[in-house]
This record gives sequence, C-alpha cells and structure tokens, in this order.
Amino acid sequence: MHTMTDESRETVAKPEARADGAVLEARGLGKAYGDTRALVDLDLRVERGEVYCLLGPNGAGKTTTINLFLGFIAPTDGQAFVASLDVATHDRETKRHLAYIPEQVMLYGNLTGLENLDYFAALSGKHPGPGRLREILEEAGLQSDAVERRVSGYSKGMRQKVGIAIAIAKEADALLLDEPTSGLDPKASNEFSALLGRLRDRGVAILMATHDLFRAKETGTRVGIMREGRLVSEMATSEIGHADLERVYLERMGDS
Amino acid sequence: MTTIVRIARKELTDLVRDGRFRVGAAVIGSLLVVSLGAGWMQVRDARAHLDAAQATARDHWESQGEKNPHSAAHYGIYAFKPRLALSFVDHGVDPYTGTSVWLEAHRQNDFLMRPAQDASSAQRFGTLTAAGVLQHLVPLLIILIAFGAMAGEREQGTLRQLLATGVGRRELLAGKALGISAALALLVVPAAILGATALLVGSGATGSLAARGAVLVVVYLAYFGAFIGLTLAVSAWAPSSRAALVTLLGIWVVNGLVAPRVAVDLSSALHPAPTAFEFSRTIDEQMATGVRDILPPDREAITQALLTEHGVDQVEDLPVNLSGITLQASEEFGDRIFDLNYGQLWDTFERQSRVHETLAVAAPLLAVRALSMGLAGTDVEQHRHFAAAAETYRRDLMRQMNGDLAQNSRTGEQYLAGDELWASVPPLEYDAPELAWVLGNRALSIAMLLLWFLGAMVAAVLSVRRTRVA
Repeated sequence: MHTMTDESRETVAKPEARADGAVLEARGLGKAYGDTRALVDLDLRVERGEVYCLLGPNGAGKTTTINLFLGFIAPTDGQAFVASLDVATHDRETKRHLAYIPEQVMLYGNLTGLENLDYFAALSGKHPGPGRLREILEEAGLQSDAVERRVSGYSKGMRQKVGIAIAIAKEADALLLDEPTSGLDPKASNEFSALLGRLRDRGVAILMATHDLFRAKETGTRVGIMREGRLVSEMATSEIGHADLERVYLERMGDS
Repeated sequence: MTTIVRIARKELTDLVRDGRFRVGAAVIGSLLVVSLGAGWMQVRDARAHLDAAQATARDHWESQGEKNPHSAAHYGIYAFKPRLALSFVDHGVDPYTGTSVWLEAHRQNDFLMRPAQDASSAQRFGTLTAAGVLQHLVPLLIILIAFGAMAGEREQGTLRQLLATGVGRRELLAGKALGISAALALLVVPAAILGATALLVGSGATGSLAARGAVLVVVYLAYFGAFIGLTLAVSAWAPSSRAALVTLLGIWVVNGLVAPRVAVDLSSALHPAPTAFEFSRTIDEQMATGVRDILPPDREAITQALLTEHGVDQVEDLPVNLSGITLQASEEFGDRIFDLNYGQLWDTFERQSRVHETLAVAAPLLAVRALSMGLAGTDVEQHRHFAAAAETYRRDLMRQMNGDLAQNSRTGEQYLAGDELWASVPPLEYDAPELAWVLGNRALSIAMLLLWFLGAMVAAVLSVRRTRVA
C-alpha cells in the first residue's frame, strides 16, 4: 500500500531517534512576546520510556513549551529538538516523531470515531486498516459500540480515548500532552493514566503539561515545576512522595 | 491515496453529512434545474415563434402581388435574429435589445420584440436564469459551506491536531479546495449534464456550439475556483469564522450587487449614449439636411449626368428609369447617415462594455457575465453582428428593388414587378460568429477571470502559510 504521499516525506529518510538519547530536548529554549517572556532559558530532556510531567499554574510556560516542540510558534532563544532534529529547521520531519493530545481532543463531529482515527492516522502516513484501527480504539478504551457512532455524541472522555488512539496509531516516538486529564472523571483519568503507562512501557517519550500533582506523581517518572516561564525545580518521582511533591510545589509557588 | 485526496475525501464526507450543505445544495440545485428547464423551454418557444414568423414574413413578401419595386421596398420584410441554443443558459441583453427588425426603404430601424417591454413590473425582479444562479447563488453556497474551512478548524482546535500530524499547510489547503470542489460537483455536474442534454435535444448541436458550451463550462469552473480560493484565503486570514463569514458576505454583495450597479453608472457617465428620442431626432435632422460632407443627393445633377451619359435631352428618352437611380442615390445617402450614427451608438455601447470588463478587476462577476453572454450569443457585440448583417441585407434588397425599377422601366412609366422578382430575393442567411471571434472580443474578461483565479489561489496559499495555530 502506498503510504507516503508528500514529496518531502518520500525523499527525506526518517531520522531515527537516538536509542540512548533524549527524544525531546530543549536547550536554552525561550519565547518572548514583546516585553513578556513566556519561557526563559529552558533546558529539558525527555528520554525513551520516560514520562516527564510539567507542573505549574496558568501562564507558567507549560503550553508554550509544548507549542515550541510542535513548531506552532518559533523560539526567540535556544532550540527545541525532537529525535535530535531542530524543530525550527525540520518542522515537518520532527512532527513525524510526535503525537499530540490537547486538553480537549477536538474531532470531526460528522465523522465516526473510526473515521476520525482513520483520517488522522492516514495524515500521519499510517494506514493500519479498519480491523487494526478498531483494535487500537478498543486498546484506547473506547467501547466497541461507540466506534461507528458519530463523534458529535461523544463525551470528553471518549474523545480523549480517540485522541490517544490517534497517538497509538501514529506509533510516534514522543507524545506531547497538554492537560489531558483536565475535566475527566476519576475513573476516566485512571484509565488514561494506565494507557500512558502502556505507551511509556513501549518506549515512548512522554511530555505532559498538567495541574494535577497527584496524576503527575502517579504517572510521571520525572516532574518539572515551572513558574513565570522558568523551570524552577526538577525531580524524579521515585525519590519523592505525594506530600513532598505538594510541599515542594507550594514552596516554589511561594505559597508557603 | 495521496494526502491531498485523503483530506478532500474527508471534507466531502463532512460536507455531505452536514445538513446545511444538503439544504443549500438542494435549494440551489433545484433553482438551477428549474432555471435551465425554463430557459430551455423559453428558447424553444421563441425559436418556434421566430421560425413561424419568419416563414409568414417570407410568405407575405413573396405573395405581395404586382406592385412597383419601390413600393415593395416600403412594404419591407422582417429579419429575425436566430437564437443560439446556448442562450437558454444566459439570455444576456436579448430581452432589452429585441430579436427582430423591420427592413424597409430609407430607414435602418430599431429592433423589436423586446421581452423586457412586455414584462410586468414584478417580473423585472423575478427573472430566474441559469446564469443568474451560477453567477450569484453558487458563489453564495461556496461561501456558506467553506467560510469555516480554516477558521473553523482553528477555532475548534482541530487545526492544531491536523498540523501536529505533519501534514503540510499547502496540502491541507489543496485537500480542502478539492473537497469543496467535489461537494460542489455534486450540484453542478448533474446540472451540466442536464444542460448538455438540453443542448443536444434543443437543436442539432453543431461542433461550434459544443465548443462554445465547453468553454462556457470552463469559464464557470474558473469562476467557482476563484471563489473557492478567495473563501479559503479569507477563512485562513480572518481571526474567527464569524469574521470570515462577514467579510465573505461583504465580498459577495460587492461582487453581485454593488459592482454591476457601479459599472452601469460609471460606463454611462464615461460614455453617455443618446436617448432613443435624441437618436431618432438626430437622424431625422441629418436625413433632411445632411451632415458634414454627407449631403442629400442632388437630383438635378444626377439627371444632367444621366442625360449627358446617354446623349439625350429628355429624361423620358433615357434607357433607364430616373426614379430608380435617384431612389438608390437617396438610399446610399441614408446609408451613410445610418453608418455614422449607428456606428457611434454601437461604439458607445462597446466602450461601455469595456468599462464593465475593466471593472472586473474589482469583481469577477463582471468578467464571467461578459464571457457567459458572449458564449451564449446574447451580448451586445453579437447583437451588433446580427444588426450589421440585417442592415447589409436591407441595403442589398433596396439595391435590387431600385435596380429593377431603373433597368426594367422608363422614366414616367407605371411599372409593376411580380412574384418572380420577389422570389428572386434570397432569404437572409445569418451565421453567428465563430468561437474565436467571441473569445477575441472578450480577451479582457478572460484575462480578468484568469487573474482572479490565480490571484485567489496565491492569496489562499499566502494566508494559509501565515495562519496562526498558537
């Protein structure tokens, strides 16, 4: 089956991520809007099989970081790398290594869950076939009777599951998540965390922006705390308890 | 399947499942079918009436009995402008210019049978033609189905997810344009097939007519393409889908309502045409006294020249009928007056037409309208083409009548010609201009339409490149 359609995709060989290196890396990354500095001198590495959770209040620079890795905005300082490729100069190639799940996965309401997945997978250059797509949706936790229903009737949780199915179908090296569990009920959040765990076990590098300290501790392998555009603290979740994470977070926010 | 086709297929599916598209397409499709059907029946009926009228007029001419040839010239004959089968798509200026003219001695008459004269005041606002639907309503449908193509994706957040897949912006644009075109094709292709069938059934379509029809299709496709490009450009550029819709509706109003009105007023101001009364009065005055170097024939000088030429002293001794000679001289004097005035009038109309075509730089409707009328054979230029052919026929007829009088009788003789003379006058055979002639006349409109098409595509590419997603 012909899977690559864009000329640049045909001619540019897929650069492999370094097996032992960072899939996502920021070096002195910064973004300013006029006098407002949204992100300042960020150094960050997310390696294969790692879940890095960016914590921080609104305006801390979490979404800006994700947007810079996605190439949706251009950095004013530093560089963002995906699979050792500079996002600024390899915009489309780096996206081949990325999957992205926003706070609210937006899909096409007139299409079914299966059609949405087929569409996004095809645009990513993947054509798994209807059978495999169904399996992926079920793996993502979508009920089988919902697969053929139009997405306009889906709950937020169901949309998030289609979003993660899109990420699974893409077989991306890295997953960027922007507040993915915001608004989900606890059961759906737990299911979502379990899915992330499975992706992590497959070696996917995951960078997740979240407000949810509990989820970060449960899902993440490392946590970075951001404030006013700066990464002010970074730690391994294995070395810190829930209470400690909350205390450190509040300290960094200047609330204690 | 290429990425572009994949995007197009999704757009088509999305649109077809959208109730707004289905309702809009059903309404506009119905109007298109009704207008094509009504236009076809109107042209069929008009052609039948013209054929009958032409046969009657010819019969009257041939059976007018014995009379003086000059009386026969005054009796006259009607000439009817044949309607191209394609005129069922676009009636053009025919309802206002008329389709028949009375050819008689001493006078180049105006055209008669103007449907607009017979229309009630209500009909003036309710005329439905396929050209009107294609030029006004299809662009409106394009706007309504595509205004959110880019802006809506951005507002809903799907644009971020789309671009995160690695799909290129130009691929996305091309896919959307193709998908919207495919949705539009669901509406236009059946109508085009219906139109082509009507053309074939209507009246033995010739190769020339088929070529005109094919170019007409290309013209409308380019027009729709320009609107699709423009709509996508605005959708990508506008800060919201609401802003895109308002902007596009503004463009639609300017294109369909404001620009045509401005074109009429501006062309009339720049190149004013005389009123019918002024025009007629000027000709009457000039026919009485002459103008510049065009002077009425000097009957005395003609008489003296003939007497000298034939070496006789009295007109009764001439071997020709002096009346036939002087009547022809009078005709030729009138012809020069008509050439002067009608030439100026037609030139004015054509200059006005050029103003319309030039203003197409601000509104593609003006270009497509000119091309549509031209290809349907219903524009001013083809009206002039037929008028010139009819006038040439009139002059030949007068020359034949006056020549018969001059050559077959003597001055003062009561001469009567019969059916043989009337039957010897050939009927008017008119061939509509070829496609190349039409396209040559409409070169400016072709350039403008091409400019809009390419400009809209470039604008869409530039807008999509600059679309912000974060």
